[in-house]
Amino acid sequence: MSEPVVEFRHISMQFPGVLANDDISLTVNKGEVFALVGENGAGKSTLMNLLYGIYTPTGGEIYIRGRRVERYNPKYAIDQGVGMVHQHFMLVPSFTAAQNIVMRKEPKKLGLFYDNAEAIRQTRALVEEYGLEVDPTEKVADLSVGLQQRVEILKALYRGADILILDEPTAVLTPQETDELFAVLRRIVAEKQMTVILITHKLGEVMAISDRVGVMRKGRLVNVKNTSEVDQRQIASMMVGRPVLYEALEKTGTPGELRIEVAHLRCLDERGLPAVRDLSLSVRSGEVLGIAAVEGNGQSELIEAIAGMQHIESGSVKICGKDVTNRSPAEIRAAGLAHVPEDRLATGLSAEASVGENLLTGRQREKRFRKAFDFLDRSSVARYAGELYERFDIRGAGVDAAAGDMSGGNMQKVVIAREFNFDTPVLIIAQPTRGVDVGAIEFIHSRIIEKRNAGCAILLCSADLDEVFRLSDRIVTIYEGRVTGEFVTDQVTREEVGYYMTGAREVAQ
Amino acid sequence: MSERMQQRLRYLAFLVISILLAFGIGAIVLAVTDHEPLAAYKAMFQGAFSAPRHIGDVLEYAMVLALCGLACDLGSRVGIFNVGGEGQLLLGAIVACQVGVWLKGSPTWLVMVLAALAAIVVGGVYAFIPGVLKVKVKVNEVITTIMLNTVAALLCSYLVKGPWQSSSKYVTAGTEKLNAQYWFGGLIKGSKLSTAIFAAAVIAFFIWYVMQRTSRGYEMKLIGQNPRFARFSGLRNDTVVILCMTISGAICGLVGMFRVYGAEHIFKSGISNDYYFEGLMVAMIARYQPLTTILLSLFFAALKIGAEGMQASAGVSNHIYLIIQTIIIFFMAAESGIFTAIENRRMQKAARRAALARREGGTDNE
Amino acid sequence: MNDILGRIFSAGTFQQMLRSATPVALAAIGGSMTEHAGIMNIGMDGMILMGAFFAVLGSFLFQSAMAGLALTLGVGLIVGLFFALLVVKFKSDEFIIGCALNTFALGLTGYLSDSVFGASGAKGNPSLLVVRLPFLRKIPFIGTVLNGQSILVWVTVVLMVIMWVFVYKTPHGFWLRASGEKPETLRTAGISPERMKWIASILCGLFCALAGAYLSLGQLSGTFSKGMSNSRGYIAFACVIFAAAHPGKAYLAALMFGFFDAIGMRLQAYVSSELTQMIPYIITILMMIYVVVRQNNRRRAPRKLQGMAKS
Repeated sequence: MSEPVVEFRHISMQFPGVLANDDISLTVNKGEVFALVGENGAGKSTLMNLLYGIYTPTGGEIYIRGRRVERYNPKYAIDQGVGMVHQHFMLVPSFTAAQNIVMRKEPKKLGLFYDNAEAIRQTRALVEEYGLEVDPTEKVADLSVGLQQRVEILKALYRGADILILDEPTAVLTPQETDELFAVLRRIVAEKQMTVILITHKLGEVMAISDRVGVMRKGRLVNVKNTSEVDQRQIASMMVGRPVLYEALEKTGTPGELRIEVAHLRCLDERGLPAVRDLSLSVRSGEVLGIAAVEGNGQSELIEAIAGMQHIESGSVKICGKDVTNRSPAEIRAAGLAHVPEDRLATGLSAEASVGENLLTGRQREKRFRKAFDFLDRSSVARYAGELYERFDIRGAGVDAAAGDMSGGNMQKVVIAREFNFDTPVLIIAQPTRGVDVGAIEFIHSRIIEKRNAGCAILLCSADLDEVFRLSDRIVTIYEGRVTGEFVTDQVTREEVGYYMTGAREVAQ
Repeated sequence: MSERMQQRLRYLAFLVISILLAFGIGAIVLAVTDHEPLAAYKAMFQGAFSAPRHIGDVLEYAMVLALCGLACDLGSRVGIFNVGGEGQLLLGAIVACQVGVWLKGSPTWLVMVLAALAAIVVGGVYAFIPGVLKVKVKVNEVITTIMLNTVAALLCSYLVKGPWQSSSKYVTAGTEKLNAQYWFGGLIKGSKLSTAIFAAAVIAFFIWYVMQRTSRGYEMKLIGQNPRFARFSGLRNDTVVILCMTISGAICGLVGMFRVYGAEHIFKSGISNDYYFEGLMVAMIARYQPLTTILLSLFFAALKIGAEGMQASAGVSNHIYLIIQTIIIFFMAAESGIFTAIENRRMQKAARRAALARREGGTDNE
Repeated sequence: MNDILGRIFSAGTFQQMLRSATPVALAAIGGSMTEHAGIMNIGMDGMILMGAFFAVLGSFLFQSAMAGLALTLGVGLIVGLFFALLVVKFKSDEFIIGCALNTFALGLTGYLSDSVFGASGAKGNPSLLVVRLPFLRKIPFIGTVLNGQSILVWVTVVLMVIMWVFVYKTPHGFWLRASGEKPETLRTAGISPERMKWIASILCGLFCALAGAYLSLGQLSGTFSKGMSNSRGYIAFACVIFAAAHPGKAYLAALMFGFFDAIGMRLQAYVSSELTQMIPYIITILMMIYVVVRQNNRRRAPRKLQGMAKS
């Protein structure tokens, strides 16, 4: 009854220094929704990119409908009926939806010229057939993210795909858009007998839509189950290897005076669209305020606006009572702020510079490192860096190695070591443990609480709800640039917070 | 640390191979055009080292290349590319020269100090403009500086044919000749080498020291490596970038002054033949490292002066020098690309072999 | 004053404008291709210079302008391939390669010119066809402007239209633009963006060769002089930036450059030609500032998203 469409046989993929896929064997059947779950970096996307021919596996073979894949390139995969909707959309922003959809198989006039009318007609036909409403003449740059995703799906369908891979499709969608997407997926599987492979790390979605689920961890496929036979908790423990059981951290002291005051803040995102809309919050000394929000709801802009990395349109920010609205990062740091940014590689460090130099940054003008004639005393720098290296349990090739060569967790520790060691009265921390291994997470969490107990005012922003609950004294939920709810951590459930995060309920402040 | 050593060794090996290959290709070009390559290269070597005056010329040109290269290093360290050194050099030279002409009769020290200051100010301002445009308006500095080069060249050409033209009928396009009391003292008879090289050495040392040994140099490096991180950590990128660009231009202006007061003693079109561009390419080959820039300047200066000697003695066009130089640049610019291409191929093979071996091992176990 | 205006807006000015604009336009059309493919091509000046030299060399060796044209197109092809090899295949810094290419062209053409033609250079080789249409002569103003221009002036207009259609009306043109704007899109569609970049480089090499051929074989009577590209490659580059790589607009930008160049020549009696020659360069800088400021403003404006996300 179940007819295999895709078979992976002993697939391995070795990147320089990383074994992304390790001897994976897996069969996906016709007409099913197969969910592939795992943490960031577990190798899900790599496996699917192999199926789509982006990479050539370094070991093993893939069979599509029983035929061995001979050449690993997207053209071959497309011809075999494989379509992929990437996490970052593969659309040309200045082209229209129709132009994007027909790319590579453009209808032509006189055998030479692009036939715009025909492209639009064919796109409309697809739109009708699958119920994915999109205006073919609209420029992709002007479409919302949800519509852009539809264009991606239409593109795959136009190319004749009947095996559709979706890489974390809901990460950028609103709940309503997610529901619509799932409705479409159900329809194409039921009516057109298509096969859907869904890469995700949201377990709720796995339960909602998939027939079977495969769990990956550190490059290996650890388990494949019928979705009906497992529950979320079981999948989660397969994903992380052991159940996530955080020990409670000891919190002492009581909140003191106001240290961060944000009032009626408005910011635009990089595209010039409103990202933060009339947002107010405050943090006191000796407390952690956690921000719970789905990615892309203005929390990044908020954090950066406080730190001086983002222009503020209106409203005000005060650090330790001092107005720092639209001041430079230097001035805001002088007012008493240290900042662990969400993207350590883009903002938090210099990958080319050595670990020692990264640890030094911000202190290079201090007397102990700077001798006469502005001479930078490398031996004192090495001593200082070495001490931090030890204290923050950084593991790598020493303080002289390039920071970019370290693992994500150790890079993060470098950033945290540097910023925490400024001993400022205010800390803002974004995504403290993104892409960080479990051992390091524990270390980082206890450091954050240590800071809190020592009287630091901490604003924490994390995509990991468990983390927010574990560290925060209070939680605010942000949706579309507005605060939708404010809670005391002990008095709220994560279901409740999840509800407010998605904008399901808005409360009057 | 060993990884850094390894990188340095790789760089050195690639540099040597590039130079050898460039000379090899140069030999083919020579042979094709009916010249004896070995004889030509011998003439080139002699042209650079056979007499003290040749060595003097090599040092003079090395000074020009090194200062221009260092000026380029200074900009690229903070992530701005000063391509406009040529124009800054020309304007610095002509203004410095004219200061000497105007102040004829004033004490030597006064004239030279004022000339140097004028060159610094003019060169600096001429770099400041594209610097501000880059930082504040985000106009590509490469294109603006290229345009400003041509504007400067045209302006100089206008001045030496018009308002600042020499009254001597032997000079068609040039300023008045400088009074000999204002010249930098000659060091080797018959060569262009002058005491200006001591001033240049001090400047070069200063640039090296600031870039490699100071906390400001460290801040510059951060800005160049990751400007966002630098701003995040509290540095004022904009100011630093504009300042570095301005100093870079000031150095170029000063090189112009050295050329006039040390070597030519007059401003005419030959004051610089795209010398800055050669310095820039030396800097690029040196991966914008100050010390390497200085060392490579000596090498390329010898190559150029040698090529001029070769033209005189063996009748081979000295343009061969540009061909050899640019071939080295092509190789050095493609270095990492060629290296990764080779590396990738090797790695793919190794991985495939490993996977194969593992699978065979696996089936054995079963 | 009337005299000056009369000189500026005389037929001679526009005739000269076309002459000055054509090589720049040809290079700018080629540069539009690399620009669309996401390559900042600063090496057009060297490409033009080599084009100029090899056109004369072919014309000199075979005593035929057509042979010169054929040879220079062949060399242009090789130069384009070489540029792509370094920039696309080996992913070298395109600015450095462009810069080095300019110097290399200076060295190579200088060396070969010395070796082949001797110090005096080559003069009086067959040059390209000049088009004189009888019916045009009867039209007063336009006749003077258009008649007696090199065939390449006409060819340039045709090529401009062809490239315009190619870029904006054919699938391959779409792929070319996508290869610069979002190469991953092509890769996931099973088209190699690198291949489009190679094609763009080759086209640019060919167009610059034509530009060079016009300089040496189209304007003067088959003469090459060292460094005769005279920064036209940079002006062409500025035209590309100004025109957002649109071949038609790039042609107009080149015409504007030609116009100011022509005014400079016509007004020599009143102003030093060096000063008037500066105008296009200064205009180019102002042009760039204007373009960038306009782009920045557009980015600020809500809901209007930037199509060309350049540099």
